[in-house]
Amino acid sequence: MISSDIIRGHIDTIILKLLSERDMYGYELANEIKTRTSNQFDIKEATLYSVVQRLESRELISSYTGEKTHGGQRRYYKITPLGKAYYRETIAEWKVLQDIMRAIMGDDIR
Amino acid sequence: MNKIKKFVSKLLKGYFNEQDKRELIDILSTSLQEKVDDLVEQGTPVDAAISRSIQEFGSTDDVLQAFPGQKSELRQNLVSKRRSNFLFSLFGYAVIVGLSLFINLWFKSFFGDFLWFVVVAIGALFWPGAMFYLYRSVKK
Repeated sequence: MISSDIIRGHIDTIILKLLSERDMYGYELANEIKTRTSNQFDIKEATLYSVVQRLESRELISSYTGEKTHGGQRRYYKITPLGKAYYRETIAEWKVLQDIMRAIMGDDIR
Repeated sequence: MNKIKKFVSKLLKGYFNEQDKRELIDILSTSLQEKVDDLVEQGTPVDAAISRSIQEFGSTDDVLQAFPGQKSELRQNLVSKRRSNFLFSLFGYAVIVGLSLFINLWFKSFFGDFLWFVVVAIGALFWPGAMFYLYRSVKK
């Protein structure tokens, strides 16, 4: 299981990526991360939802209230055009970083 | 929902400005409630679902991890706020004890040799004591 220290700087990008695929509610995001990483990434919900609040206050994502199947309501999050642009920028940076690491580490990380 | 909101409010106590705190409490409580609802839908009893959700949620430090640039600033603000509270309590304590001592001695003819201000001085110690404990708990 990878500690959140190493991956902390990328939580924003992970959330934006997931929301660019479809709108999700908070706990759904937490579950999706667990499922996709086969429980390898142990992110505390307290951290995840706080990042969501930060992204929303920076207008990278927005929220709306949606109905759930058995009555009641859920707060769904949606990526904004600003969020999409930010995500693309981060991916570009990520690729540069990847190239640099590959150039230095060579076969060790292939 | 009340139990959840109380838990979240306690978690954020002393951190963030009022608006950020309100938004955070709103988002964290809603997300926690959604988890409880999902667990209940899957057959977990309500009380067990609430306890489990709260237990798995994380700590104040986990919340602060979401604000890496502000983490030390937020902590520093809390430390200085608690220090001011402690200093104020010391001042308040001195005023209370001083006033008691004055009344006790000024009206000596009425109170006789009974030095009741000592009782006040010991009783009022809880105030700076509690403030010092709170200050120490965040200063570590």
